[in-house]
Amino acid sequence: MSVPLLRRLAVPADVSGRRVLASRDGLVVALLFYLLVSGILSALWRAAAGEHGDVAGYSAVALTWYVFTAEAATCAINVRMIEEVGDDIGSGAVAVEMLRPLPVVAVRLAAEVGRCSARLGILLLPGATFAWIVAGPPPSTAATALALPALVLAVAANLCLQHALAGAAFWLRDTRAMWFLYQKLVFILGGMLLPLEVLPGVLRDVAMALPFMTMAYAPARLASGHVEPWLLLVQAGWLVVLAAGAGAVFSAGQRRLQVVGG
Amino acid sequence: MRMPAPSDGDPAIEAAGITKRFGGSGASAGAVDAVHDLTLSVLRGERLAFIGPNGAGKSTSIKILTGILHPTSGTARVLGLVPWQQRRALAARTGTLFGQRSQLWFELSPRQSLRMLGAIYGMDRDRELRRVAELGDLLDAGDLFDQPVRDLSLGQRMRCELAACLLHDPEILFLDEPTIGLDLLAKRRFRELLVTLNEASGTTVFLTSHDVADIEHVAQRVVVISAGRLIYDDSVPAMRRTMLSTKLVDVGLERAGAPLDLDGVTVLASDQTSAQLSVDTSRTSIREVLGRVLDTWSVSDISVVDPPLEQVIAEIYAERRP
Repeated sequence: MSVPLLRRLAVPADVSGRRVLASRDGLVVALLFYLLVSGILSALWRAAAGEHGDVAGYSAVALTWYVFTAEAATCAINVRMIEEVGDDIGSGAVAVEMLRPLPVVAVRLAAEVGRCSARLGILLLPGATFAWIVAGPPPSTAATALALPALVLAVAANLCLQHALAGAAFWLRDTRAMWFLYQKLVFILGGMLLPLEVLPGVLRDVAMALPFMTMAYAPARLASGHVEPWLLLVQAGWLVVLAAGAGAVFSAGQRRLQVVGG
Repeated sequence: MRMPAPSDGDPAIEAAGITKRFGGSGASAGAVDAVHDLTLSVLRGERLAFIGPNGAGKSTSIKILTGILHPTSGTARVLGLVPWQQRRALAARTGTLFGQRSQLWFELSPRQSLRMLGAIYGMDRDRELRRVAELGDLLDAGDLFDQPVRDLSLGQRMRCELAACLLHDPEILFLDEPTIGLDLLAKRRFRELLVTLNEASGTTVFLTSHDVADIEHVAQRVVVISAGRLIYDDSVPAMRRTMLSTKLVDVGLERAGAPLDLDGVTVLASDQTSAQLSVDTSRTSIREVLGRVLDTWSVSDISVVDPPLEQVIAEIYAERRP
C-alpha cells in the first residue's frame, strides 16, 4: 500500500471526469443553460453600462467577460450537491464509504473535482467564443492567464464548502433549506450575478470578507481584465480553510454516527 | 493470494461483552439494546453464519465489528485491531458487502468502479488489473464488468459487488444479508462462490442472514442471535442433527388422497388441492417420504423447503427450557 495519497485520489478524479465527457446529453443541456444565462445576463449588464460607459469601474467588455467567467465557475458544479450528499448521509449510504481506507470526504471531493473540471473545460471554450463574438477579445491576456487557475480554485472551494454544509445531515434530517440558502449566497455575495463592487459599502466589505467571493467573483474579476494575483492567494487560503472544515465536519459526523447510529 | 488456513486456532474476530444501546443512556425509558452482551470468537479461515430474524441485531453487530458503530460497552479485536478506533486500517484488510447497499458507483461500469476502488485501496495498476481478471474468472463476471450497473440483474450485480469486496484480497469477508432478494438459482450460485473462495484463499467468511439455507450451504458454524442476544453457537452438523432435521413438504394435489402413516411425518394443513407436511428427517428420510407421497397420492406439484428461521429459533428456545 505504498501508492502516494494524491495518486490514489487522482484516479477517482480521472474516472469521474472521463465519465462526464462520455455523457453527451447531460453536457449539451448544461452548455445550453450556461450560454443562455450568460448571454442574457451579459446583455443586461452591457445595456446598463452603455457603449462607452461603465458600471462600478467595469466597461461593457469587462462585464461580458466577468459574467461568462462567473457563470462558468458555478455552472460547472452540480447545483443540488448539498441536497444529494445530505441524502446519502441521511439514508446511511455513506456507511459503505466509511468501510474504505481513505477519508470519505477526500474521495468524494476528488471525484467531484474531476467531474467539475471536465464540465468546466467543456463550458469554457464555447463560452469564451461567445463572449469574444459579442464583446471582443478579453481585456488583458495576463489577467486571463490568472483567471484559469482561479477558476479551478473557485470550483474546489465551492465543492469544499458544499460538502462542509452537507455534512450537517449527520445532525439534521433535511439539508434542502441549507442548499436553498447557499445558492442565494453564492448568487449575491459570491458575485455570480453582479460584480461585488456594485454592492453598497458595508455589504461589499462583508462579501469581500466571506469565502463566497472565491467561488465566482475572484476568477471573474481577473477575467474582466484586472491583474490582481492576490486574489489567487485569497482563494488558496480559503480553499485550505474550507477543505479543513469539510474534513472536520465529516470526521465529527462520522464519530456521531459511530456513537449513536444512524 | 494467501494459502488456505481454515480454523488454525488463530482468531480473526474476538468480541467480549459487546452491547449497543440505542435511544437513550443507561437504563432510561426508551433505550433499546440492539445487541446485548455479545461474546464471540471466530477463527481465521472459518465460515460462520450469524443468523437471526429481522431486528435481531445482526447488522448492528456487523457494523460494530467493521468499525461503523461504537459499542456502548464491551471490547472487540478484529485482525488484532479495535474496529471503531482503527476503522480505516481495518478496512484495508477486510471486505464488507451489504445486501441492500451498493458499493458500486451506479453511473459507472463495474470495471470503472473497480478502478476507483483499486486506487482507494492503494493497489498499483498492474496488481489491480491482474486481480480484476482473476475475479472475473472466479465469479464468472468478466463479461459483466463493462455493462452499466443499472442494466445488471440483482444476481449479476451481487457478483460484481462481491468482486468489489474481494478486489484487495481481504482476510475477512463480512456479508450482511447478501442473498436477500436473489432468486433460487442466483442464491445457490452465490453460496457456491463463497465456499469456493474460502477454500481457495482461506478468507474468513462472516455471513449474516435470515435464510436457513445459507447456513446449510455455506457455513461450518452457526451463531443464532435473537433480540440482541446470542442464543445458539455450534457447528452446522450439530445444528443439522438437532434443529434443522425438520423439513417442510408442500404438495399440490389433483385430488385428496388417503392419510399417510409414516413415523416423524405430521400433516400441518390439508385440503382438496394441497397438503403441507412436517418431516422429522432423523426418523424418516425425505427420500422415503417423497416416495410414499408420490405412490399414495395423485400429485400435481411437490417441493421441499426449510422451516422458517422463526421456527428454528422457537425450537432453540424450547430445547433450552428446563
